[in-house]
Amino acid sequence: MLLEVRDLHVEFHTRDGVARAVNGVSYAVEAGETLAVLGESGSGKSVTAQAVMGILDMPPGRITAGEVLFEGRDLLKLKEEERRKVRGAEMAMIFQDALSSLNPVLTVGDQLGEMFTVHRGMSRKDARAKAVELMDRVRIPAARERVRQYPHQFSGGMRQRIMIAMAMALEPKLIIADEPTTALDVTVQAQVMELLAELQREFRMGLILITHDLGVVADVADKIAVMYAGRIVESAPVHDIYKAPAHPYTRGLLDSIPRLDQKGRELYAIKGLPPNLTRIPPGCAFHPRCPMAQEVCRTDVPPLYDVTESDAERGSACHFWRECLHG
Amino acid sequence: MAEPILEVRGLVKHYPLTRGILFKRQIGAVKAVDGVDFHLDRGETLGIVGESGCGKSTVAKMLVHLERPTAGEIRYKGEDITRLSGKALKAVRRNIQMVFQDPYTSLNPRMTVGDIIGEAYDIHPEVAPKGERRKRVQHLLDVVGLNPEYINRYPHQFSGGQRQRIGIARGLALRPEIIVADEPVSALDVSVQAQVINLLARLQDEFDLSYIFIAHDLSIVRHISDRVGVMYLGRIVETGRDAEIYDHPTHPYTQALLSAVPVPDPEAREHRERIMLTGDVPSPTDIPSGCRFRTRCWKARERCALEVPALAVPEEFRDTSGPAAHDSACHFAETLPMWRSAPGRAVPPEEGGEHGSGPE
Ligand SMILES: Nc1ncnc2c1ncn2[C@@H]1O[C@H](COP(=O)(O)OP(=O)(O)OP(=O)(O)O)[C@@H](O)[C@H]1O
Ligand SMILES: Nc1ncnc2c1ncn2[C@@H]1O[C@H](COP(=O)(O)OP(=O)(O)O)[C@@H](O)[C@H]1O
Ligand code: SF4
Ligand code: SF4
Ligand SMILES: [Mg+2]
Ligand SMILES: [Mg+2]
Repeated sequence: MLLEVRDLHVEFHTRDGVARAVNGVSYAVEAGETLAVLGESGSGKSVTAQAVMGILDMPPGRITAGEVLFEGRDLLKLKEEERRKVRGAEMAMIFQDALSSLNPVLTVGDQLGEMFTVHRGMSRKDARAKAVELMDRVRIPAARERVRQYPHQFSGGMRQRIMIAMAMALEPKLIIADEPTTALDVTVQAQVMELLAELQREFRMGLILITHDLGVVADVADKIAVMYAGRIVESAPVHDIYKAPAHPYTRGLLDSIPRLDQKGRELYAIKGLPPNLTRIPPGCAFHPRCPMAQEVCRTDVPPLYDVTESDAERGSACHFWRECLHG
Repeated sequence: MAEPILEVRGLVKHYPLTRGILFKRQIGAVKAVDGVDFHLDRGETLGIVGESGCGKSTVAKMLVHLERPTAGEIRYKGEDITRLSGKALKAVRRNIQMVFQDPYTSLNPRMTVGDIIGEAYDIHPEVAPKGERRKRVQHLLDVVGLNPEYINRYPHQFSGGQRQRIGIARGLALRPEIIVADEPVSALDVSVQAQVINLLARLQDEFDLSYIFIAHDLSIVRHISDRVGVMYLGRIVETGRDAEIYDHPTHPYTQALLSAVPVPDPEAREHRERIMLTGDVPSPTDIPSGCRFRTRCWKARERCALEVPALAVPEEFRDTSGPAAHDSACHFAETLPMWRSAPGRAVPPEEGGEHGSGPE
């Protein structure tokens, strides 16, 4: 297994109390595989990713339990210095907002080149040549000239492609893309996703794609982890989950997207709002919003039940997964 | 046919580009909106889609008099309102209200919800006499699904979806006939998005509202719209009833846009055909000659650089009555075989045909 996150817990100390942002997340990705992490804002997707990358703000954040096994090695036990060597070379991250993750006062060529001078000890000249090659690779037209330009001189789609180039520079084994196309228009989103998929195939990278877009997930993922209030509530191969969700929250999300064959009808809407993470409801965190909730849901936290039916593993954190799956 | 409640003709907004400090010389213009025509019938919803920067918000702002058009007409019940002023303008403005995209910045953080919603009554006291305002506002809160007791709270005490409800209540305060909603759900999470869309649909029935609904999410626009206009670089390039646009698009840009939308069905991905557009949208300061889409169009020929295609039913469909016979601003408009079933749906490979995808 390339990456395995086991029972990760992260909390933040805030003025309102302790926010339990991640409460026992486990997921795994193999080389060449795409895992989509799906969930509404605040569900803990980015915090989990930051803990994996080792870029979590600590304090106020604190990892209170769990393991992040990268090729079998627990990254949480490494010293910061060793950790830094893993970052960039072995695993890299792409963020939603390319403009604010690129340095505005350095040319893109310098920023791309830095990957090679710092990590690979290359000369500036060689690094510059590498930068041009990478920009070509992510299809920036006139790379040789544009390598001298600054981030603001590129369009949003191009900046995101430069971010991808930067993440790919050292050919890492794992890429975490946190909402990489959320800020982009659909035609540009399609270009960027295609590029990412192509590079992933070529280098057999593991890809963790964080998103709230059920369409993007259906297009590219091999498997999905659905997060709610800092937990994975359903984890399944992509085909299974769209056919028949095994958790009422997943079902609610799928039902709330407009469908062409039901035009004009009222959309299904999950009632209420996600919980405040300083006061997560007892029992199943979803129970105040769940149409299937019973008495037991208010008191007993549902474990991740094994709901595997085919040869691919599947889990659901719902006491009534059977009713949900077959109902 | 009844007169449309709103009709827009040749609407233009150019922002001058100037150079110099002492002597501002105009060196060009940002052609944000560059000749837009559409109409809105009473009680219907017109969806406007298009990519970032194509001019959607600028159109919206002109409709509600937040921007003055450079040229063109906006007819409200037959009367051009772009030249109105004083009392007459005030009366019209009351009837066309706007709901904004960002529920986080569009509400004044220092005002209570009651003051935000009731503010409009200061300008239009005839709608609600002083003594009645509080009751009116509480009723509006109830109408949009918020607790009327929240009247003294401040915006930061609400979630994004709740703030958007406050924005909608403010839009309804003067009992307008037309609501211009500019990306009203784009900033919201999926589950909350559905709640707000349902609310807008319910209010439309309840108050007999006509909507201009602007968004870049094509599935949501289809869900809520009766007719749709597709914008590119300051112009509407194709318009028609929702099924005409979504199931029988004839303009290459619409075809590319629809084919790029990810479909929430993993079974579809093996069979899907995508038209990948290359390059970026040109700058609105430097609009290509002829057809403005030609720099990204895989069908472009010489004529496209020379002649501006008019927004009209293309010649080859003019004598037909089928769904392809709708306005499309393309010299070579045609339906593609991939749209024999709905866009994005699984298309059997034998139906897909070779026209499907554009060049790399
Ligand atoms: N006050 C202004 N001065 C100069 N240019 C402007 C001004 N307002 C808008 N523009 C330009 O006009 C064009 C259209 O802008 P507009 O905000 O209408 O786009 P939009 O379709 O609403 O985009 P989005 O989907 O990003 O909201 C853009 O190129 C924008 O930069
Ligand atoms: N630096 C921080 N300080 C305090 N709280 C934080 C910090 N970063 C994230 N959080 C909180 O952790 C929770 C999960 O956040 P996040 O992982 O970013 O959600 P998302 O699923 O949208 O990516 C949120 O409630 C967020 O406010
Ligand atoms: S455990 Fe109960 S409340 Fe939670 S999702 Fe299942 S049915 Fe709903
Ligand atoms: S007029 Fe020409 S360039 Fe424009 S959309 Fe039609 S074929 Fe393409
Ligand atoms: Mg996030
Ligand atoms: Mg806008």
